[in-house]
Amino acid sequence: MILEIAGLETGYGKLRVLSGVSLSIGAESVGLFGPNGAGKTTLINTIMGMNRVWKGSVRFEGRDIGGLPTHEVARAGIALVPQERELFPLMSVADNLALGAAFIPHVVSRKEELLEQVLALFPILKERYRQLAGTMSGGQQRQVAIGRALMANPKLLILDEPSLGLQPSIVAEVFERLGQLKKTVSILVTEQNVRESLRAVDRGLVLENGAIVIEGTAAELARNPHVERSYLGI
Amino acid sequence: MAVTRRTGILIVLCIAAAAIIIAWRPTVLIYGIQQAGLYAAIAIPMGLVLGIVHIVNLAHGEFMMVAAYATYFACKALGMDPLLAVLPAAAVTAGFGWIVFQLTIKRALKAPELNQLILTFGLGIVMSQGVNLLFTSQTRKISLDYVSASMDIGDLSFGIWSFVFVAVAVVYAYGLKFFLTRTTLGKAALAVGQNPRGAAIVGIDVNRVYGIVFALALALVGGMGALFITKAAIFPMVGAPFTMKSFCLVAVAGIGNIPGILGASVLLGLSESILRAFRETRGWADIVFFVLIIVVILGRSLKWSFPLKGRKA
Ligand SMILES: Nc1ncnc2c1ncn2[C@@H]1O[C@H](COP(=O)(O)OP(=O)(O)OP(=O)(O)O)[C@@H](O)[C@H]1O
Ligand SMILES: [Mg+2]
Repeated sequence: MILEIAGLETGYGKLRVLSGVSLSIGAESVGLFGPNGAGKTTLINTIMGMNRVWKGSVRFEGRDIGGLPTHEVARAGIALVPQERELFPLMSVADNLALGAAFIPHVVSRKEELLEQVLALFPILKERYRQLAGTMSGGQQRQVAIGRALMANPKLLILDEPSLGLQPSIVAEVFERLGQLKKTVSILVTEQNVRESLRAVDRGLVLENGAIVIEGTAAELARNPHVERSYLGI
Repeated sequence: MAVTRRTGILIVLCIAAAAIIIAWRPTVLIYGIQQAGLYAAIAIPMGLVLGIVHIVNLAHGEFMMVAAYATYFACKALGMDPLLAVLPAAAVTAGFGWIVFQLTIKRALKAPELNQLILTFGLGIVMSQGVNLLFTSQTRKISLDYVSASMDIGDLSFGIWSFVFVAVAVVYAYGLKFFLTRTTLGKAALAVGQNPRGAAIVGIDVNRVYGIVFALALALVGGMGALFITKAAIFPMVGAPFTMKSFCLVAVAGIGNIPGILGASVLLGLSESILRAFRETRGWADIVFFVLIIVVILGRSLKWSFPLKGRKA
């Protein structure tokens, strides 16, 4: 297991958002689903060290990373594509991508190779290589954010709603690429588009009321009556 | 709203008046540029801190004052020329700044802006009053021969030493620009300035970058403290006006626009120098920067499109 979370509790001020989340991720891709406000982003931000762990543990490759600052989590091998993208708006696409790799110790020597892969995946980034990231359209910026995360050649790639604002053809490409990536990278992805993402992931988790309420393979989730009713809209 | 026709005419008239005065008394231009160099070299580090750490350091001029005092006593004790003290002063001030940052400013980074202002304002008072208590308010000066070096062109004669400030300002501005856009650490600093969350996500130690940038800025100010004493007398309050003027220049240039500080400084230096050229207006020179800052703030809030490029926060 690359990521193991046990009994995780966290929140904001007095508001408890997660009340005992346990999950583990191995060499696979996992979808994280749940209604708006369920705490998916909160869970991800807690893994990344951006929220304090109230209780419970977060282990990455056996090492307790709960309480580590964000940059150390990133250097340990977890890359995040944040829901809000969090790009460097006044820097070029080129610099945004380069910064994805510059501070990750194990990739510095493979930068060129990774950059080629990213530019092949998102041709628009090659076309707009010198454009300021902040002047790209929303969907283009999402591609920069995904590209920046891939530049870190992570062991665990976390994507918070990667298809938000992307045109369907690119969503399909992103999911296809995630399908290829999952052979080498573990993936945790949240999505509103449950149907599409269940095709790309191995396993799914459903987060409701601060805890994981359903867990299973993609096929199991697709058959689950609660999932069908609440997320697949059947 | 673009600059209205009336303000446009006003600006053209000002430029024309300046041109006439300069043609009549060319030293006004020379001393204006020299003064601009001094202002810019001191303001640029403040612009660096504001652009990346997003802190208005109201103790900025006091750091320079402390560096100047340290240089003064070191030079007196060792019989050394202040020019030899530039690099050591830079290093010592950077170290001092690093400590001050770790002990105080770091803890206020997430605090409301007002708290940060009060903190750095207080730091400035502690420094100037501390120096006052230790060394009294007596003015101190080091006399150096080369400072009075002058040059004659036709019947024009003027001091040339202060061009050193112009050189330093240009080196600071373009050196920083190079650092920020061409080096990995510099790009990391820019990234932190634009989006600290995003920077942390890609593995940048944001607090460390803040500390480094603050210390770097203080190294630049410290070096200027050593240079400052070659030319000017120092006393505990000598730094305060430079804090205000630096802030004014950074605001005119627009946050994050470091080379723009050079242009803003020329504007301020020339305006002051023109006013100083006449006995009747001499006393007004010190308030030019107030006028500048009011015009800029007014202009920004009325959304005049200034030719100076600014950065939206
Ligand atoms: N910074 C914050 N301060 C206070 N409350 C917050 C903060 N961020 C999130 N919350 C609250 O925490 C809860 C979970 O939010 P979170 O963003 O994790 O949900 P989510 O599952 O990612 O939702 P979505 O599908 O809309 O992205 C919500 O009730 C939200 O209002
Ligand atoms: Mg979310």
